[in-house]
Amino acid sequence: MSIVTVQLGQCGNQIGFEVFDTLFSDSHSSQGLCSKRENEAYRASCKERFFNEEENGVPIARAVLVDMEPKVINQTLSKAAQSGRWKYGQHAYFCQKQGSGNNWAYGYSVHGPRHEESIMNLIQKEVEKCDSLSGFFIIMSMAGGTGSGIGAFVTQNLQDQYAHSLKMNQIIWPYGTGEVIVQNYNSILTLSHLYRSSDALLVHENDAVHKICAKLMNIKQISFSDINQVLAHQLGSVFQPVYCAEGSFHYRRNPLGDLMENLVPHPEFKMLGVRNIPQMSENSLAYSTFTWAGLLKHLRQMLISHAKMEEGIDWQVRPPLSGLPPLGKMPLNKELHFNTSIANLVILRGKDVQSADLGKKLRAYLHQYTKFGIEEEDFLDSFTLLEQVVASYYNL
Amino acid sequence: MGRRRRLVDPAAEAGAGALPKVIAALSRSLPAGPSPEIFRRAKFDRPEAPALWQLLFRLLSPRSADGASASLALEAQVCLVKSALRSQGYPRLVLAQLPEDGSRGSRELLLALSWLLARGPLPEQLLAQAHVQLGDEIPVCECEALASPGPRVPHVEAEGPVDIRCVQWLMGRLRFRWRCLIASQQEQCTLLSKIHLYTRGCHSDQRLGHLSVAETEMLRDPEGGQQGCGGGVGQSLDLAYPKSLHSGQVPEASGMMCGWCACGWVSAHPPGSLLEMQPSLCTSCALGCFAFQLLRRLERENTGLEAALEWRRGELVFWRWMDTVLGACPPEAPAAATQPTFLPRIAERGLGRLELAARELRALQEELCEATGRRRAAWEARVGGQGRGPQWSSARQALQKAVEQELAALRWAWEQDRGPARPHGPHRLVRCEDEAPGGQHLRAAEVIQALRSQEACLEAALRRLQGQCRQELARLAGALPGLIWILPPRC
Repeated sequence: MSIVTVQLGQCGNQIGFEVFDTLFSDSHSSQGLCSKRENEAYRASCKERFFNEEENGVPIARAVLVDMEPKVINQTLSKAAQSGRWKYGQHAYFCQKQGSGNNWAYGYSVHGPRHEESIMNLIQKEVEKCDSLSGFFIIMSMAGGTGSGIGAFVTQNLQDQYAHSLKMNQIIWPYGTGEVIVQNYNSILTLSHLYRSSDALLVHENDAVHKICAKLMNIKQISFSDINQVLAHQLGSVFQPVYCAEGSFHYRRNPLGDLMENLVPHPEFKMLGVRNIPQMSENSLAYSTFTWAGLLKHLRQMLISHAKMEEGIDWQVRPPLSGLPPLGKMPLNKELHFNTSIANLVILRGKDVQSADLGKKLRAYLHQYTKFGIEEEDFLDSFTLLEQVVASYYNL
Repeated sequence: MGRRRRLVDPAAEAGAGALPKVIAALSRSLPAGPSPEIFRRAKFDRPEAPALWQLLFRLLSPRSADGASASLALEAQVCLVKSALRSQGYPRLVLAQLPEDGSRGSRELLLALSWLLARGPLPEQLLAQAHVQLGDEIPVCECEALASPGPRVPHVEAEGPVDIRCVQWLMGRLRFRWRCLIASQQEQCTLLSKIHLYTRGCHSDQRLGHLSVAETEMLRDPEGGQQGCGGGVGQSLDLAYPKSLHSGQVPEASGMMCGWCACGWVSAHPPGSLLEMQPSLCTSCALGCFAFQLLRRLERENTGLEAALEWRRGELVFWRWMDTVLGACPPEAPAAATQPTFLPRIAERGLGRLELAARELRALQEELCEATGRRRAAWEARVGGQGRGPQWSSARQALQKAVEQELAALRWAWEQDRGPARPHGPHRLVRCEDEAPGGQHLRAAEVIQALRSQEACLEAALRRLQGQCRQELARLAGALPGLIWILPPRC
């Protein structure tokens, strides 16, 4: 079953490219770890999921790229085509000439409705190319203007049009110190809208990935490309075909369905996090040995002690109850991960709005939103929803 | 089990060979039925258990697991059988205590088999499931499914208050399963449509005009072929399927000999035709293969049906014999209700201290029981016995009745709308271009419209009921001043 990916904004497009690249290289790696027949089965399964077969043999990624500026999309398309191994569809993108100035409201209320038809048409074309649709991936950042505003809008549209398909949003949590001034506002609005229309929110934290790059992978100058590669690696490990002994097809056919059913059945708990080990650069892999039991033990402790990296795990923490059962045979385990930064954000919100001079500055920014139709009530609604989410998680 | 011992009928006694014949007929009508000799030895509890475990497994496991289940280990099969019997309410506890390796208990298994046979027409049900279906069948009308509420599930009383989040979790899982089912059904529809399109003009019956999946499968793989083709076809549809049906390359006229009749008439089959898959056979031999396989399948089904008939005729002999089997069982232990406890062997020294500890624990437990009992009584008095107690169960019964009445009213309304009698039951899917005259054909568009109107009715009813619930909630919220209710987000 196939997954259609929607890449939104600069962040989404760059990460999307890395994801497809990683998936492709993984399925075509010549490591020689298993028999030829198994390799082919794996490759076929991965290809069917993420790529479309073309006549001259170059697979086309099942993706739709959306951005308001042409620069990033052009870069992404050309990078993919240059590699020669896979590419994006020729017309599978949508871009405009101007940006949206990191304004969420502009993205949601203006760009969204204006370009709704074109974007949904593109998605529809991709869906029709699939023999069977497993669901949608939507990759976006939370704090930018285009990615977040349009992402929320597109997800809502997908909910209306493809009510029965499963949707998973990959959202990139911004750095704590912030790249964009209004990122907190953007994040709150994005989260609340996505909570209503999406099935699962897979959160990637820039901070955590940055630390992984720095400490474990020994990269000196960390660029976005490195961060994206680590993210792509994490995503790839989750969504590559899982082997299962039963059934005539050795790889489970419905990746999103399996994941969703086991992880997010409860409508109030939709946030997911990813942990994967080993976290090291490709070069060091050859010099280490692992045992399955050791890996699992590390991973389990990482989950229990809320660590995000392999290093510095607190081994003293013990769980009160048993954890969730692992899925399949992949070197990954996922759980409902309550991200404490939501609580921080919300508290920060409250403090900011109450304190006098900061209040004036933020009121100015609020103007940007009300200009495009996002009123204060919308903000209040979003706060309420998120407070509820925070409360539900606290009561777990 | 309680079947009364019947008086021995001298007329039946005369047919001494009747019993093995009847048992043989029973075996033939069941999948993987063991020989009559195994039945006889099972009565005396001889070690014939594995065969009987496997038979029960085949009878109880869900149909879709046919292909993979054969490879399950005996222990796994034993576990499955035990849990399936328990969920159906099998009364004898001795079966649950049989060892997991499946080596013992053939008499108990025989009793379990006869319990299943006594509950319902098992051989007939199995034969109906394994019926050879040539066409792509879909059920048009669900009235039988709606009318019967399904097998009676043993009512389990919850021990304590159930966390509502658990229930929400399970509902969510159910919803996801539902959505996955819809996705699979859409996939199946796409593939069916492709197959019907690509096999235009291949069928000998002009009215049908194209092959169904079952026929295609038989043509594609004349050597193999699985049992119960109609149901198992869904499994064998894989995504390379339509591609192999419609590969773009045209094989050259090879002029090679047909693999069967050794004639030299093997030439390029037209591209996109089904016969292209059998390049080494001439056309008539390829079609012959197909017909041959179909014949084999039908013969197998015939054998099963005849066996079922013979079984029904001689059933009485079997039940009389089963009475004797039941009589041969040792009486059930009186303390069968409680699990036997195996106390570990304790060394002599530790016994004194252990006694002390046990006494203290017992005293503590009594204290706790008292305290919780008092608390619970107070709480229940406040809450008014919600969810439990006689007035709750009568309220629930009233609710169920109301729902059934409403459903019946809706169904009656649909019957009126439908007009002249519409045929029920499964129909074969046929794709045709032209407007064929009515008669006994059902048009898909009409069926879809009928279903849509039913869906609209049900949705309207759902919205009405949800509105009533919301009003009730609002009324309750208004009754408690100073309290702010935040309703959960609509999902």
